[in-house]
Amino acid sequence: MSKSFFIDTTLCTACRGCQVACKQWHALPAEETENRGTYQNPADLSFDTYKLVRMREQVIDGKLRWLFFPDQCRHCLEGPCQDVAGEPSAIYTSESTGAVIYTANTRQLDAAEIIEACPYNIPRKGADGTLAKCDMCNDRVENGLQPACVKVCPTGAMNFGERDDMLALAQSRLTEVKKKFPKAMILDPDDVRTIYMVGFEPNLYHESAVASAAHFGITRQAALRRMFRPFRNIASQLS
Amino acid sequence: MKVNRREFIQITGATAAGFAVTGLGFDLSPVKAHAQMLKTKYAKETTTICPYCAVGCGAIVHTSKKGDGRVINIEGDPDHVINRGSLCSKGAALTQLTENSDRITDPMYRAPYSSEWKKVSWDWALTEISKRVKASRDANFESKNAKGQVVNRTTAIASVGSAALDNEECWIYQSLMRALGLVYIEHQARI
Amino acid sequence: MTNHWIDIKNSDCILIMGSNAAENHPISFKYVTEAQQKGAQLISVDPRFTRTSAKADIYAPMRSGTDIAILGGMLKYIIDNKLYFEEYVANYTNAAFIVGKDFKFKDGLFSGYDPKTKTYDKSKWAFEMDKNGVPKMDRSLKHSRCVFQLLKKHYSRYNTKLVSEISGTPEALLLEIYKTYGATGAKGKAGTIMYAMGWTQHTVGTQNIRTMAMIQLLLGNMGVAGGGVNALRGESNVQGSTDHCLLWHIWPGYLKTPRASNVSLEAYNKKWTPKSNDPLSANWWQNYPKYSVSMLKSFFGERAAANNDFGYDWLPKVDDGKHYSWLDLFDEMYKGTIKGFFAWGQNPACSGAHAGKNREAMKNLDWMVNVNIFDNETGSFWRGPGMRPSSIKTEVFFLPAAVSVEKEGSITNSGRWMQWRYQGPKPLGNSLPDGQIIMELGERIKTEYAKGGEFVEPILNLKWDYLTNREYDPHKVAKEINGYFLKDVTVRGKSFKKGTLVPSFAYLLADGSTSSGNWLYCNSYTEKGNMAARRSQKDAVTGIGLYPQFSWCWPVNRRIIYNRASVDLKGKPWDRKDPVIYWTGDKWIGDVPDGGWPPLLTEDGKPNPKSKHAFIMRKHGHAQIFGPGRADGPFPEHYEPMECPVEKNYMSATYTNPTAPTYGTKADIYKTCDPRYPYVGTTYRVVEHWQTGVMTRNQPWLLEMQPQVFVEISEQLARLKSIKNGERVLATSARGKLECTAIVTKRMQPLQVAGTTIHQVGFPWCYGWRLPVTGKEESANLLTPSTGDPNTRIPETKAFMVNVIKL
Repeated sequence: MSKSFFIDTTLCTACRGCQVACKQWHALPAEETENRGTYQNPADLSFDTYKLVRMREQVIDGKLRWLFFPDQCRHCLEGPCQDVAGEPSAIYTSESTGAVIYTANTRQLDAAEIIEACPYNIPRKGADGTLAKCDMCNDRVENGLQPACVKVCPTGAMNFGERDDMLALAQSRLTEVKKKFPKAMILDPDDVRTIYMVGFEPNLYHESAVASAAHFGITRQAALRRMFRPFRNIASQLS
Repeated sequence: MKVNRREFIQITGATAAGFAVTGLGFDLSPVKAHAQMLKTKYAKETTTICPYCAVGCGAIVHTSKKGDGRVINIEGDPDHVINRGSLCSKGAALTQLTENSDRITDPMYRAPYSSEWKKVSWDWALTEISKRVKASRDANFESKNAKGQVVNRTTAIASVGSAALDNEECWIYQSLMRALGLVYIEHQARI
Repeated sequence: MTNHWIDIKNSDCILIMGSNAAENHPISFKYVTEAQQKGAQLISVDPRFTRTSAKADIYAPMRSGTDIAILGGMLKYIIDNKLYFEEYVANYTNAAFIVGKDFKFKDGLFSGYDPKTKTYDKSKWAFEMDKNGVPKMDRSLKHSRCVFQLLKKHYSRYNTKLVSEISGTPEALLLEIYKTYGATGAKGKAGTIMYAMGWTQHTVGTQNIRTMAMIQLLLGNMGVAGGGVNALRGESNVQGSTDHCLLWHIWPGYLKTPRASNVSLEAYNKKWTPKSNDPLSANWWQNYPKYSVSMLKSFFGERAAANNDFGYDWLPKVDDGKHYSWLDLFDEMYKGTIKGFFAWGQNPACSGAHAGKNREAMKNLDWMVNVNIFDNETGSFWRGPGMRPSSIKTEVFFLPAAVSVEKEGSITNSGRWMQWRYQGPKPLGNSLPDGQIIMELGERIKTEYAKGGEFVEPILNLKWDYLTNREYDPHKVAKEINGYFLKDVTVRGKSFKKGTLVPSFAYLLADGSTSSGNWLYCNSYTEKGNMAARRSQKDAVTGIGLYPQFSWCWPVNRRIIYNRASVDLKGKPWDRKDPVIYWTGDKWIGDVPDGGWPPLLTEDGKPNPKSKHAFIMRKHGHAQIFGPGRADGPFPEHYEPMECPVEKNYMSATYTNPTAPTYGTKADIYKTCDPRYPYVGTTYRVVEHWQTGVMTRNQPWLLEMQPQVFVEISEQLARLKSIKNGERVLATSARGKLECTAIVTKRMQPLQVAGTTIHQVGFPWCYGWRLPVTGKEESANLLTPSTGDPNTRIPETKAFMVNVIKL
C-alpha cells in the first residue's frame, strides 16, 4: 500500500510546528541563521533541515497575501533521483509506505547529479557527501504513527494517510476552497506522494512548487521524461 | 494515568518488521538513522501541559527508563481534547527546553561589587536569603501608617512572579509573601 | 475567557483585534479554522498585517491606540441600524437603568473630574434608585436618562468619517467590518472577540475591552456558544496565578486586599460585600465573608479564630488611594526605597515597560533573589550593557528551578480549565521544583523568626504543612486550596464530617468551620478526587464541545460563564443549534448553569419570583453597558496614547486619558508630537519565542527560526529613510535605543490620519543581551514608556513614539 501527504496550504498559518517537529524527531541540529529581512528561516532546505515553511508576500489582484508553503520531499511515485542513482542500496522506495528513502550509501553517488535530477529541488548534500531529505518519518509510519510534521499540525494543513484517501480529501477540499480561491489547484497529484493544494498560482509560493525543468541537468532529461509534465495538464485532472 | 492512543493510522500489515522486509541484504537505514524500533518504545510516558501560552495543549513526555532517565521525546497528546496531538513550534521543541546544556543546575551567588557568579549550596543560599529577608523586613516594618492606621507591612521588599508557577506553587508563594507583610506583590498579569 | 478554546468553533463571526492569535496562540486556529470551514467570517484588525491577517476574510489596518474610536463607531452603527438584540439588551443588561441627573459628559470629560488628583468622583455617575433601593428601570429603553439613550448619545459623535480620520482605517473597511460583525446581533447568531495584550497595554486598556463587551451585550453575544469576551492569556498559568492573586490589590479568588481604613474583619467584610435590595438579584458576592474567612483559615489554620478576627490583622494593609502596582514598584525601586527583591520566574529587565529605568533601579537593591531555569538579563543585570559590576552593591542569589515536565501540579488555561500535569524526569542536576524552593525558604524564614523579630505572629502562625517525606506535595496544597470542613457541620441540609473536602463553594461558611485557600477553586479537589486530572473524551448532551469531564474549570466546572443569558426569559436557548443550557420545565440541561434558579418567566409567561436575573455576579443582576466603577468614566471614550503623532484629539478637547498615571523621575521622559520621534512604535511577540525569550532563546531550534530582534517597516518608510531590507538600523525613543534588523514589508502600510501620512513600526520584545551571545539583540522595552491604564496600571507598551535610522 502506498501512503501520501496532502498539504492544504490554504490552512497553513506558518506556526512552523512541522518544521520543528521534524528536527525534533530526527534529532537534527539547528543551523546558525541571521534575519535576512524575512520571517523565513533557515533560508533554504539543507542537510539538517528537511522541512521548511516558505513564506512570501504577494499582492494578488490588488490584495496583499502572505503565502505559506511547507516545503518537503514529494516522495515521487517514480522518483527521478532514484532513477538517476540506479542504486537501491542508496535510494529506494519503501514497499510498505512509498517513502523514498536515502541511505548512508548516498555518499557513493554523484551528489550533483541527484540534486539536479530532482524537479522540486529537495535533496541536500552533507559535509561528507551524504544526501539527506525528508524520510516520511518512515520509522513512525511503519509503527503506525503519523509523520511528526502531520501529527503536530493544528489546522489540518498537513494530512497523511492512504493515497486514495488523500486524493479524495484533496478533491473535496479543492471543491470547497475554490469558492474562496477560484484559482486553487492541486499540484502534480499523479506523480507525487506529497500532494499540495495552493490557492493561487504555484510559482507565487515557491519556484519549485511544481515540477520544474529549472533544476534539471540536460543530460538527465531522458531519465526524467516521464516525470516532467507542465503542471497545468496535471492540475486539470483534479478540478 | 493511562494514555489511550487513538492516533494510530491504519496500515495493512504494519508491524515493527519495517525495513527488514526488503530482504536485499544491505543496510537500508536512512541517513542519521534512529533504531528501526521507535525510540520511544520502552520509555516512560507521562502527560503534561505545555508551559508556554495559555491554550493549555496536552503533550506526552517520553522519559528514558535507562541511564540518566532523561527526556527522549515530547510530542502532542492525541487524547487531549483541545489540541488533539498538535503543537506549535515552541511546543514541538519542548525536548530542547528540558534537555538543555544552558540550564543552571546549582544555586549561584553574586557578591556585592563582584564581577562573577559563584556556585553555592542550596542550604547556604536559602539560609542567607532568609537572613536578608528578616533584616530588610525588620528594619523597615510599618505597624502603622502616617494616619496611625494599623497596616502591619513592609514596603522595603518587593516580589514579582510568576505565571510560570503551578497553581499550588502560586498559592503557597503568595501566602508566604503576604505573611511576611509584603504589599509589592506583582507578576506577569500586570504587564 | 468567558468561553473557552474549543468553543471558538461555534462562532459565526470571529473578530481578532488586539491579538495576533495565529502567532501567539497557534492552536486556537484549530478552532478558528473549524469555524471558518463552517462558514464563519474571520476579521483581523491590526496595525500590521500578521499571520492572523493572512487567514482573515477581512483585514483592516489601524493606528495603534485608536481601538475605542473604531469600536465606538461600531456601537453607533449597531444602534443606528438597529442591529442590537433588543430583548436581550432590555432584560439582561443595565441599558434600562436610569442614570442620575449628575451624570454629564462634556469636552471629553465626565462629571466629577478633579484635575488636581486626576481622579473622578464616581458618585456623580450613580443610578437613580426607587423607594426600595433598587435601580429605576425603563425596559422600553426610551427614558432620556436610561443607559441606552445615554449610550446612543455618547457614541453619536463616532461617525465613520471621523473614526477613519483618527484611526487611519479606510471608511469602506470600517463599514464592511461593522456590517459583518453587526450581523451577529440576529437571534441565534454568535460573534466572538479574541483579544490579548494589543488591547490591555494602553492608557485606555480597560476601556478598549469594555467597548467590546458593550458591543457583545448589544448583540446578545454574552453567555452563548461561539460568543463571549475572550482574553487570550499569554502564559500557561497566568490565569491561575491571577486567580491566586499574585497581585498587590487582590487576595486569592479576587477578594480585595484590605485597605488601611478597613480596621477590622467586620469592617473589611462590610466594605467589600455588595448589598442588593432586588429580590431577583442573586448578587453572588453577598457571600464574600464566607470566602474571606475560609481563606484566612487556610492561611493560619487553627491559629485563626473568631476571637482574633481569624488573623485578619496579621496580613498587610495598603493605604487607601495608593497604588502598589508594577510601574509604582519599579518607580520606588528606582528611588531607592526597596531593599530586597524577588524576581521569581520573571525577567523584568526585559519584560517591563521602560526596561532601562528598571535595570537602573535594580542597582539600588541590597539583595535580589532570581529563580529561573536559565540565567537571564535580570539575575545578571549587574553585568549587562553599560553596567560596571565593581560599582554595583546588589547581592544576587540565583536559584535554579525545575522545568514543568520535571514536576507535578496544575495550571489553569485561558479558558479557566485547571489541568493536572505529571512528573516525567526528575529535576536536572540540583535544580528543584519551585514548590520545594518556596517550602524550604518558608521553613528557614520561620526558623529565623522563631528566634524573635518584628511582628512574628503571621510568620510563625502561617500554616506550612505541605511536605510529604520532606518533599513538596502539590496534592496537599491543591486540597488546601479547595478547602476542608474543619468540624462536623450541616450546611444546606447536608451533613459533612470534619476533615473532609468541601464539595463546592456553596458550602463554605463564615464562622471558621470551613477552610478554602481560594473559593473559586472550591470544587476542584473533592472527596470524588482530583477533578483537574480527569481525561474523559465525552461531550455534554448539547454537543457543543464542552467536554465537562475533561479537567475541571472554575467556577464549579461551568465552561461558559454568564450562560443564563444564552436563553430567553422562559429558559429556551436563543440558538437552538448550539445551546449552552436549556430549561426542561424543572431543571437545567447542558453546561453547569449560572445558578440553578428557574427562568425569569414561567411557561405561561408570568414572572417567577424564585428566579434570578441573568448576570449573577453583578450587584443588580444585569451586565453593565454603563460601568460606573471604572476610574476613567462609565462609557469608554477615545483619548490619544500618552505619546502620539497627532497634535490634538479629533474626538474631543481632552487629549489623553485624564486619569492615566505618569511618573516623575529623571528617567521618565514622554515625548509626544516631537519631530525627533515621528513614528508610532508598537511591540509584539512571535510564535517562535516566548515573552522575553528566556526559555526560548536558549533553544537552538527556535533561535534558528527567529535569530535576531527586528523592526518591521513599510516600503514607503524604508524609501524615505533609505533603509534596505535586512539592514541593521537604530530605533530610538525618548528613553532608549535599540539596534535591530529592518524587515521592509508590504505588511506595514502608512496610514492617512487627519490628512497626514502616519508611519508605524513594530518590534518583537522577546530578546535581551544575554542571548544570542553577540549581546546585540536587546529588549524592545528599552523604548517603551512608564505610563499605563488608570484602572489596571498595565503599561502602555503598544503605542509610543520612535525614530528609525540607518546605522
